[in-house]
Amino acid sequence: MTAEELRETIARQFGRSLHIRTLDTGSCAVCEQEIRLLAAPHYDLHRLGFFFTPAPRHADLLLVTGPMIRAFEVAVRKTYAAMPGPKVVVATGACALGGVYPEDPFTHGTVGAVLPVDVWIPGCPPSPLALLHGLGVAVGKLAERVRDLSFTAPDYTERAGGDS
Amino acid sequence: MTLWFIRGIRRGVVTTRYPAKPDTSARYLPTPPAFRPRQLTGQVADRLVAACPSSALRREDGVLIYDVGACTACGRCAAEAPHAVTASGAFELATTDRSVLIKRIPLRGEAR
Repeated sequence: MTAEELRETIARQFGRSLHIRTLDTGSCAVCEQEIRLLAAPHYDLHRLGFFFTPAPRHADLLLVTGPMIRAFEVAVRKTYAAMPGPKVVVATGACALGGVYPEDPFTHGTVGAVLPVDVWIPGCPPSPLALLHGLGVAVGKLAERVRDLSFTAPDYTERAGGDS
Repeated sequence: MTLWFIRGIRRGVVTTRYPAKPDTSARYLPTPPAFRPRQLTGQVADRLVAACPSSALRREDGVLIYDVGACTACGRCAAEAPHAVTASGAFELATTDRSVLIKRIPLRGEAR
């Protein structure tokens, strides 16, 4: 099943009810703080049809944080195997995307080294809004925006030209 | 709450759209940097690469490679060269393609 077919299936089957299992593979717990805030009234993740579940057997989406330490690899593989298909893996935070920790004897450095990642959410930590957008992208409800961003700013006008 | 309940029953829709209204806290978030290509000489680029603690910046011939996924939005590049780096204001950065997050910023005065 290709990623595109998977996304269509996810959108059709889980458009209103998608259960999330979070997995901490050695993160500093700030990503977890932000994920926890999603369930608070201000962001209210449940209105969008997402729910947290403690069991991978009940989960449709695996939200992975941290740089994937090697000591946790067995647990990660078991968790992924225990989830029923179709399933989505979302890598969350700069560690999980391979930014902060290089690959070394203690850590893989990126979640992509162990799991087939479907959605990448940058940020250190990603704010609850960024996480909501990432979950929307994962179920195919929201469009990706970063593809069109160039991360260049327009140049100074004369007003600010002097200082540096 | 009551209005929401009645509306939900009438329409049969129980979930609301994202975002229901623009979030006011978004503008206080630390966001990844945006670079000014006209101010970005090779010398400045080397200083930015040296200042980056999470190896999100890399230098290649004539371009600065910026990995948005590796960036922690710490602001050290903006502190190093405030005239060349500013905040981008972008935070909805999720993507299904990791390579989309790697941006190429052209340097001033060098061929791409």
